Amino acid sequence: MDHRSPLERVLRALALTAIVVFFMFPIFWIVLMSLQTNETILRSPPSMSFVPTLKNYAAIISGELDSNAGSMSIHFMNNLLNSVLLSVFSVALALLLGVPAAYAFARHKFRGSEDIAFTLLSFRFAPPLLVLLPLTLYFQALGLANTYLGLVWVYQLICLPLILWIVRGYFEDISPDIEHAYRIAGHGWFATFRKIALPLAGPGIAAAGLLAFIFAWNNFIFALVLASADKQPVTVGALAFVTASGIQYGQIAAAIVMSIAPTLLLALWAQRYLVEGLSLGAVKG
Amino acid sequence: MYEKEKDLVSAFLNGGMSRRTLIRRLGALGLTAASAGTLHNMMATRALAADFDWKKHSGKSIKLLLNKHPYTDAMIANLDTFKQLTGMDVSYDVFPEDVYFDKVTAALSSGSSEYDAFMTGAYMTWTYGPAGWIVDHNEWLNDPEKTNPHYNWSDMLEGVRKSCAWNGVPGGKLGSDDAKQWCIPWGYEQNNLTYNKAMFDKAGVSVPTNLDELIEASAKVQAGNDGIYGIGVRGSRSWATIHPGFLSAYANFGEMDLTNDNGKLSAAMNTDGSKAFHAKWVKMIQDSGASDWSTHTWYQVGTDLGAGKSGMIFDADILGYFMNGGDNAMAGQLAYAPFAANPDAKGPTPNIWIWSLAMSKFSKDLDATWYFMQWASGPEHALFGAQKMDFVDPVRNTVWQDEMFQEKLNKSYPGYVDMYKTSAPGASIKFTPQPLFFDLTTEWAAMLQRMVAKEIPVDEGLDQLADSMNGQLTEAGLR
Repeated sequence: MDHRSPLERVLRALALTAIVVFFMFPIFWIVLMSLQTNETILRSPPSMSFVPTLKNYAAIISGELDSNAGSMSIHFMNNLLNSVLLSVFSVALALLLGVPAAYAFARHKFRGSEDIAFTLLSFRFAPPLLVLLPLTLYFQALGLANTYLGLVWVYQLICLPLILWIVRGYFEDISPDIEHAYRIAGHGWFATFRKIALPLAGPGIAAAGLLAFIFAWNNFIFALVLASADKQPVTVGALAFVTASGIQYGQIAAAIVMSIAPTLLLALWAQRYLVEGLSLGAVKG
Repeated sequence: MYEKEKDLVSAFLNGGMSRRTLIRRLGALGLTAASAGTLHNMMATRALAADFDWKKHSGKSIKLLLNKHPYTDAMIANLDTFKQLTGMDVSYDVFPEDVYFDKVTAALSSGSSEYDAFMTGAYMTWTYGPAGWIVDHNEWLNDPEKTNPHYNWSDMLEGVRKSCAWNGVPGGKLGSDDAKQWCIPWGYEQNNLTYNKAMFDKAGVSVPTNLDELIEASAKVQAGNDGIYGIGVRGSRSWATIHPGFLSAYANFGEMDLTNDNGKLSAAMNTDGSKAFHAKWVKMIQDSGASDWSTHTWYQVGTDLGAGKSGMIFDADILGYFMNGGDNAMAGQLAYAPFAANPDAKGPTPNIWIWSLAMSKFSKDLDATWYFMQWASGPEHALFGAQKMDFVDPVRNTVWQDEMFQEKLNKSYPGYVDMYKTSAPGASIKFTPQPLFFDLTTEWAAMLQRMVAKEIPVDEGLDQLADSMNGQLTEAGLR
């Protein structure tokens, strides 16, 4: 039963609306821009009245853009596909390697375990540019330069430490007594990990996976340095709309809408896991 | 079939007939413009192949690293011609300009052999050349076995050609006899005025011809038109703020960035003349520049002109060219004028940006790559780009003399050809080549920002700047 007064409810609704508008306005404005031509976007003063057009989306999907210097081709859909491939496979590999490792660090204390865990975390400390040039040389020697496999591997610098440390905290929050009880019933450690630990850590793993996906999606520098133009993600591809002959604001906005849509939908779907997983993993009992 | 037509085109290619006569006679033979164009390309390719073994590297492949630019678009549109001519295959990676030079630096500094040739600016070669990442192209230019007899290197504008050559000695004169040709000019930009004619007419302002008039005209056009600012110039904290209009005007007064005393470099921007120039420039921005000037790069300067938010720009002529087309609100309303800031100067002295091509030292086959280089920077492709694409400003004299190209410019870009003719003789790089170029020039821009923001008086700011630069030059062993 709601005991709040009508005034309190109205004020609360107004405050919530104000907060939503404040945070959603940039996205709303970008969506509006994506439905306008460059000419209407650049009107002075800006105006909300315009005839909406899907020209920008059509241009991006077809790959043919009209610029101040004639028509030019843009491979944004290919960039989008690259982002999906790189992010999905990188997170999948990081989950495959990181979750068992996190479980081992949480449950099986062994000599040097903290040092190894910290070393893995330290991958996040190193500025990417510091490691990229040596990596380029190694990748060329190993034949990994300009391959998806090489990029997925190097993306582990982003995904693996994140997943390992978040999920480790989550495993540590689960009482080991439940696992012990299952082991006493005659089950092996792998069955205990699979049947008990993994389901209980589910929200944490989902949260860590989502965060790693967002970080991988937003990465810019790895593919730029290590791969050719046909393997670039959206973060690099979106810059193609900024050309010497002018900035295609409408197409940039449409590209942003298309590139944030997958992560936005994924985040909306998984937000309850994200909040629950992060808060539970962060607080030790 | 087509024998008569082929004879006519051959006569034209051999210089025995003017373009107008060719078009008239082909028309008389019943050939449409499109068919005539195809025939011309076919014959031009044959003529090109006549005295040189273009097939020498047939079957080989090269890879290019390119910036997303109208020059690149023009080259890609004509690339089949090269493939047919040589039997070579060409692949390429095109990256957006914002990240392009990061990609180039990463590829070169790691010694990657992935790319055989790439686009570069002449300023960048002051880093790439001494680092041993690029070759001295003289080795190929001066070898008649490797360079086709119709390449016509001397057809390239002298100031542009020399601006791409440096002996590697800090402070060494560009284009000196011992200079290495670090890159081959492809297309370039002179810095001049592009103005909104309707706004000028409305405010009753005539085109300024020196710095004082420019300051006055900027203020008047701003006052005479609602909601605009008078003049667009770059202002971000970057070397790119100094090199366009600012340095072009600065050099016109005979002022320099550095002095060179027997190989010892010293900052030269705290002279009386430099201080007077800076004071005027700063005042102009304060009175008639964009309110967010300190964020303005190429893009904002151009976009505001195209959208009708500024009365004129003192920047690259090709930026004004692009803003006069497309879906810009001011398309078709812009005009061009040469600009000499100093009333006593003989003429304009625009500092220039040169998009060039360079071969990577790490290329696996430099001779084959040179075949692409000489075709892409050769007279035939330059003419194709100028006539049919947006390959402005061409670096070859013969292209500027081409009637069809001039007609195209005169039709849609009023004053462009005259602007070019007036300012080209004085066009060259005005900076002193030295390895600290980017650091020192960025610091110059940062000080300009402080002066415009009234954080520091001009005289004091320039003294501080010179002290700081001298310290860095000393530390680097250049002073």
